[in-house]
Amino acid sequence: MTVQYEDFTTKLMNDMDPALLDFVKEKVNTFIKWDLLRFFHGNPNTADTAENIARYVGRSAAAVKAEAQELVDDGLLQIRLVADLPIYTLTQDRENRTLIDQFLGACEDRDFRVKVVYHIIRGMR
Amino acid sequence: MERVKTGIKGLDQMLQGGLLPETATLVEGAPGTGKTTLGMQFIYNGIVQYDEPGLIVTFEEFPLQYYRDAASFGWDFRELERQGKLRVIMSSPEVTHHDLTSVGGIIETAAKEMGARRILVDSISHFRRLEQDPIALRELQYSFINALKREGLTSLLTRESQTLFGENRQADDFVAFTADTYLLLRYVEIESIVQKALLVLKFRGSDHAKDIRQFEITGQGIVVRSRFEGQEGIMSGSPHRMADAFVKAFVENRGAK
Repeated sequence: MTVQYEDFTTKLMNDMDPALLDFVKEKVNTFIKWDLLRFFHGNPNTADTAENIARYVGRSAAAVKAEAQELVDDGLLQIRLVADLPIYTLTQDRENRTLIDQFLGACEDRDFRVKVVYHIIRGMR
Repeated sequence: MERVKTGIKGLDQMLQGGLLPETATLVEGAPGTGKTTLGMQFIYNGIVQYDEPGLIVTFEEFPLQYYRDAASFGWDFRELERQGKLRVIMSSPEVTHHDLTSVGGIIETAAKEMGARRILVDSISHFRRLEQDPIALRELQYSFINALKREGLTSLLTRESQTLFGENRQADDFVAFTADTYLLLRYVEIESIVQKALLVLKFRGSDHAKDIRQFEITGQGIVVRSRFEGQEGIMSGSPHRMADAFVKAFVENRGAK
């Protein structure tokens, strides 16, 4: 049974573009991060607090704060202080923006989305 | 006198050629009257007709919604963003206010980078949630409008009416007082058909049309038509024919004597 599980995992991983696979494994490894990237990609000039962004994506502020900080650490979001308020924006780094574009472009394919979901759930175990 | 043309058919004529540069215009109306459409058209026309880059600051709708709505009029906002002529910024009133009053804020930087000349703020109604105290709210709105002028921007601020038809009484009408220009959009019921009316209520520093005009939201955006003829009480939302008003004012009154 274990062998079958590993085979399935390997198959799913082999099917994915290596760069995107790394991106999913290392950077978009939670559903909230995925939501945040999708939101910022669709609304690229958003500049707001974690609390307000949480309202925009329909998640809890505490969860968004932690996950947004990890996206900042990974260079996908940026943070700046406006009158002591931490404000999150999409990264201005061209390379990372291209990677986000590629990832969300690939997500338009249902099979790819299923694989991403699988990887995220697997990472949660 | 230099004018900032809206490019909206009929409106510039009402404004004697357009808005005055670096002024603030309040556009007030009930939901669905076309405030945001008018604002988007002001920004779009500025870019494509007058080579004036623009910013849209939204406190409510997601930028995605603007891209879609604009596309329905044939305006490609995404492409204009790619060209660096437009930026649709989503934020909250508290962040935007702090941002504008600090040095090197997001809006200031964007305006300078793009050479922006116009801005749509949609909508200023959301400032109410920042301050309960009316005096503090006034100060906040005043400094916000002045910060936009400081950046050399001609601004269009939308505000939602609390009533669908008829007169709207705002608890605090300080923005209407502070704004240089005040445009009112209204629903009007005439013979069981709902039409839309536009009035330039105030235009500081310029003459303007005093009549109430019909307007429509067409596939190409807002088009301002002719004035309402033979009707009175348009802004009440339920006008009556002038002949009826004449009878009521003179004939009925005389009969009562």
